[in-house]
Amino acid sequence: MKPTAQSGGAVASNATATPDLATALDQLWARFLPEIRQRVNILQGAAVACTGNQLSTEQRTAAHAAAHKLAGTLGTFNLAHGSDLARQFELVFGSEESPSAELSRNLADLAGELSSVIESRKTSALGTVHSLAPPPK
Amino acid sequence: MPRKILIIDDEDDIREVAALSLESIAGWDVVTASSGAQGLARAIEHQPDAILLDVMMPGMDGPTTFRELRKNPATDKIPVLLLTAKVQNSDQRRFADLGVESVLFKPFDPLTLAEQISDVLGWK
Repeated sequence: MKPTAQSGGAVASNATATPDLATALDQLWARFLPEIRQRVNILQGAAVACTGNQLSTEQRTAAHAAAHKLAGTLGTFNLAHGSDLARQFELVFGSEESPSAELSRNLADLAGELSSVIESRKTSALGTVHSLAPPPK
Repeated sequence: MPRKILIIDDEDDIREVAALSLESIAGWDVVTASSGAQGLARAIEHQPDAILLDVMMPGMDGPTTFRELRKNPATDKIPVLLLTAKVQNSDQRRFADLGVESVLFKPFDPLTLAEQISDVLGWK
């Protein structure tokens, strides 16, 4: 199996990057934001249930799935910190052990932080895409 | 002629961002499928140059889809790259043992996804 590049600078030689990419990504973000918010709501509900020691198996499963999806999605929209936060939820809700009281309190804070990260995303966060166009010759 | 990529992922947002990225940045043709079963059919029909395959999908998951692709003479030579949000070492070893070309991790950078695929497949 070949390793993948961890990061890159230049694009493929047949690149036809358009300045509209950032705008298109913003449009996708706007379209999927309700679904993303819904996933955060699931995490917030699970966090609240944890603080009351009332997390059901169904709630844990739903929270684990929501966290997994958020972890994979948010960074793609230039919200790497959001993916990191979601990953913490994924680890907690993927465990068979119930979160401790202290961890449960932290989860509520993390859910609030995650929501803030999502709501504060600026449009055209990938505005640097303009620089990907080949330099003029 | 532009490369043709098949993206198989049950998550609409990931599928659409990846498609947008590969079309806009690299100018590749993109075909999408939202399930393993649909992906198998699209692979046979479109004969893509490579397949980007999500690991965790309801029904037929990524590894099962990969094995089905390898069983079929119409798709057994198509390079497959797994796309996963799983980062545990045990998962990585398991995926490596499958025989896929490579594993790409979510979240990916839309600006460099095409470059990662090109690097792995020697398309430069």
